[in-house]
Amino acid sequence: MLKQYPTARFILMRAGWYFVTFLVAVTINFYLPRLGPNNPVDIIMAQAGSGTSREDMRIKEEMYLMEFGLVKMKASRDAGGRAVKEMVRDAEGKPVRASNFEQFITYLGMCLKGDLGTSFYKQSKKVTDVIKEAVPWTIALQLPTILFGWIVGNLLGALAAYRRGVFDKVFFPVALGLSSFPFFVFGMLLVAFFALTLGWFPPMGGYDNAIPGFNWPFLSSAAHHYVLPFFSIFLILAGGQAIGMRSMGIYELGTDYIKYAKWLGLRETTVLLYLFRNAMLPQITGLALSLGTMIGGALITEMIFSYPGLGMAMLDAVTKNDYPVIQGVTLIITVSVLIANFTVDILIAFLDPRVKAGVQMGKGL
Amino acid sequence: MMKVKRSWLKTLAAGAAVVGLGLASCKSGDGAAGETGFRRDKTLYLAGSQWGDPNTFNPMAESWQAAWPVNDKFNLMYEPLIAYNSLDGKFEPLLGTLVSHDTQKVVVDLNPKAKWSDGQPVTSTDVKFVFEIGRRFPGAATAYAIRFVSSIETEMKEEGGERLTFVVNKADRNNPLVILDHLQAIRIVPAHVFEKLLAENNNDLSAVQKFKIDQNPVVSGPYNIHHYNNERIIVKRRDDYWGNEALYEGKMPAPEYIIHPIYKNNDHFAIALQQGRLDASQTYMPRIWLKKKDQVGTWYDKAPYFVPGAMPMLLINTTKAPLNDKNFRRAMAAAISYADIKELAVSGYASDMQPGLIMPQGLEEKFFSAGDAASFGVAHNPDLAKKILEEAGYKSVLKPDGTLDYMTDKADNKLPQLTITVPAGWSDWEAMVKIAEKGLRLAGIDVRENPVDGGLYWPALPSGNFDLIMHKPAPSVTPSLPWTRFEAVMSSRDWAPVGGDNKMNENQGRYNQPGSPEYNARVDELIGLIPRMENEADIIAAYQELNRIFMQDQPAIPLCYLPEQFYEFSTKIWKNWPTSDNPYAPPLLPWVGASTKILWNLEPAK
Repeated sequence: MLKQYPTARFILMRAGWYFVTFLVAVTINFYLPRLGPNNPVDIIMAQAGSGTSREDMRIKEEMYLMEFGLVKMKASRDAGGRAVKEMVRDAEGKPVRASNFEQFITYLGMCLKGDLGTSFYKQSKKVTDVIKEAVPWTIALQLPTILFGWIVGNLLGALAAYRRGVFDKVFFPVALGLSSFPFFVFGMLLVAFFALTLGWFPPMGGYDNAIPGFNWPFLSSAAHHYVLPFFSIFLILAGGQAIGMRSMGIYELGTDYIKYAKWLGLRETTVLLYLFRNAMLPQITGLALSLGTMIGGALITEMIFSYPGLGMAMLDAVTKNDYPVIQGVTLIITVSVLIANFTVDILIAFLDPRVKAGVQMGKGL
Repeated sequence: MMKVKRSWLKTLAAGAAVVGLGLASCKSGDGAAGETGFRRDKTLYLAGSQWGDPNTFNPMAESWQAAWPVNDKFNLMYEPLIAYNSLDGKFEPLLGTLVSHDTQKVVVDLNPKAKWSDGQPVTSTDVKFVFEIGRRFPGAATAYAIRFVSSIETEMKEEGGERLTFVVNKADRNNPLVILDHLQAIRIVPAHVFEKLLAENNNDLSAVQKFKIDQNPVVSGPYNIHHYNNERIIVKRRDDYWGNEALYEGKMPAPEYIIHPIYKNNDHFAIALQQGRLDASQTYMPRIWLKKKDQVGTWYDKAPYFVPGAMPMLLINTTKAPLNDKNFRRAMAAAISYADIKELAVSGYASDMQPGLIMPQGLEEKFFSAGDAASFGVAHNPDLAKKILEEAGYKSVLKPDGTLDYMTDKADNKLPQLTITVPAGWSDWEAMVKIAEKGLRLAGIDVRENPVDGGLYWPALPSGNFDLIMHKPAPSVTPSLPWTRFEAVMSSRDWAPVGGDNKMNENQGRYNQPGSPEYNARVDELIGLIPRMENEADIIAAYQELNRIFMQDQPAIPLCYLPEQFYEFSTKIWKNWPTSDNPYAPPLLPWVGASTKILWNLEPAK
């Protein structure tokens, strides 16, 4: 079946594998936070319980257990004969906890309906709302940085590979140095120098003295606050990309087609573009993967600059065992990484003539 | 080639569009669209009372879920009946005035001028609603408080205005002291708003607790919510606040807006304060004296810089050998260098430690006995620690290199290594524990620090699942101190063993088990009696007796005295903050208790 349509077959095969990966990831995302020795209700009760009597505590604890779906429920009727759900209790009258598997089934059912559940901590806030509030910060911080870092890094890398000489001798060690800097060290150095010593830029926060919206005080303030976080990621990313591009470029320069193009006397820019196109394939993969993982947030950068992005939301949820938020955020990350990978697979198949030929000959990948 | 270029441009354009959208969608809450910047000289920036994303501004929600300034006992939007001044121990008028308090009742007069922001007067109906709801619903925040009150009686005074009498519930707790705590902490909410919400929701409180109450809520306080998102919370001055006339002679608070930025990183508080981005903060900042040049101020101009208010301490699991031996516990207390903790762990922000649970200064000073501390308590003395251990039969076994290997008890059994549980990342607590660990090991006690995630620390505390654990009982300065501290450390009223689902919210170390041969009934008797004593000499004698028992039994080891809040301010934009030279309000951020009046006293620096 589908043998005469190798491309469709390839795409379907890939999609199938990604779906299996997705299922495995969702299962792991669900079980991992629950493997620890503590549960969220204990954490809440320990913090909220001081100054309450034991009876009040028991009532509250049962309320939370029920609200969070951590106990077994059964259908029942109240005094007025209305259908209600009540907790299943053991012989001592204690609520029976729902097993992880039972919770998993409930979770899958909710997921299918597009319901990611409700945060335990955020006063019945929907997980989708938690994500919705954090994602704009994450995207605003990272998308421009990744795109610019990628473009600038690759251009400079290709140039260094082609020009060599003094430019490369200066450029290569600088790029290597930048790319091997950890984000947080670089971020802190930028803050120490440009925000604290020189005072040119604000050291933290996303904006100041304004209410977010399309108004000048906010936009100018946001832009001013954006400079340091941007450069803390941009320079390192551009450095890394440049190194990769430079090595690929040097490799491609030694190939026959470049030599041939040079012998034909083509213009330097034309040769450079040939070079660029061929050296770019692994770089495109890298770009797609960075865009996919971007959604997970740049936790360290968010912490250094007090940006309220997804990384912070995730850290907050993990420290408090807020299962629904952990599951929701990891689900979003899983989906975006898988989509990015899938896109790369498909893109490469179309962009790279060698892969395309392989697919068309029915060999698959 | 051109194709590649064009698709880049497209990607770029798409990226820019997403960024624009992203920034625009950061808006939430009561956003004033088109609003331009906040004038710095009319805006007060304060931080440290809101750490995570703001969840709800519902005063009926549980305090830990509500966002600043609706959480805790902050008075900006909703106000309590009276405000406590932790400097002089007096009660200041707010929605009401404290008339009298004794062992039978607490009497408060409502201020007839008090009004809600919708123009309705604040009446006894509102007060009764918020307290009595604790009787109607076990899940209500006041469910615990109302157990101390048997009834709230109201009467009209001849000269006008309502008088409220909180009758002490003798059948249950019989504790008038805690009623005072609650009167200055429980904020009154508009009954006409919440009764309506309850009626609309089938009388289901948990449904009402889920409302966010963030759109023009009906409040009685001087500020109301203006805008919020995950980056900051902004409240705006209410120019028609009733208290301006009734309490402040027609004056308005100086700042028009108060902005509470939500920082994700401890260092940001210090940086922001030094740069004048923040006007006051309540977070621990090491070496505060280095920040003076940046116009950062504290209560005292020199060490200890802050006013002590709370005691971080090591709670001891007294059910576990060898910690069930009070000699062992006393040896531990003698092994720890409190001076090192003060100097190295908390930048010298504390006065010298005295043995016992009573602070030797401030409002507690009158209960403190230096003679008792000297004769019953153990101070830092490594030789004494070794001597006590030796006399009790404990031996330390050393490795060939002379360092400690393990300990044995008097029957020569090897003792397991003890651990001190401390929340990882709480840097000042971790530093205290490290110094304690060093002293204990030098004295030959095999103990190690055990830093754990918050998710493990909090449940370990009530379940008793620890050897030693860092904790700060009675963290805020309330009218009932030091009684609350004794109750939190020594009371066996709700005693439950370690293990299973058993939890204790006070005396987590399970000291003084009722029914056991060592049970000392006098401890619980004194804890029960002190709140009902009227004669000051009796109260002093009772506290001193209780403190002697504490020092002899050592169920916990206090490590230092720290302030209730690390009150730090900047004079770059606003001046006239209260200090020890100008002590018009307690050293707390201007939304706690009697410190709210700072807002009326601040002046622009330029």
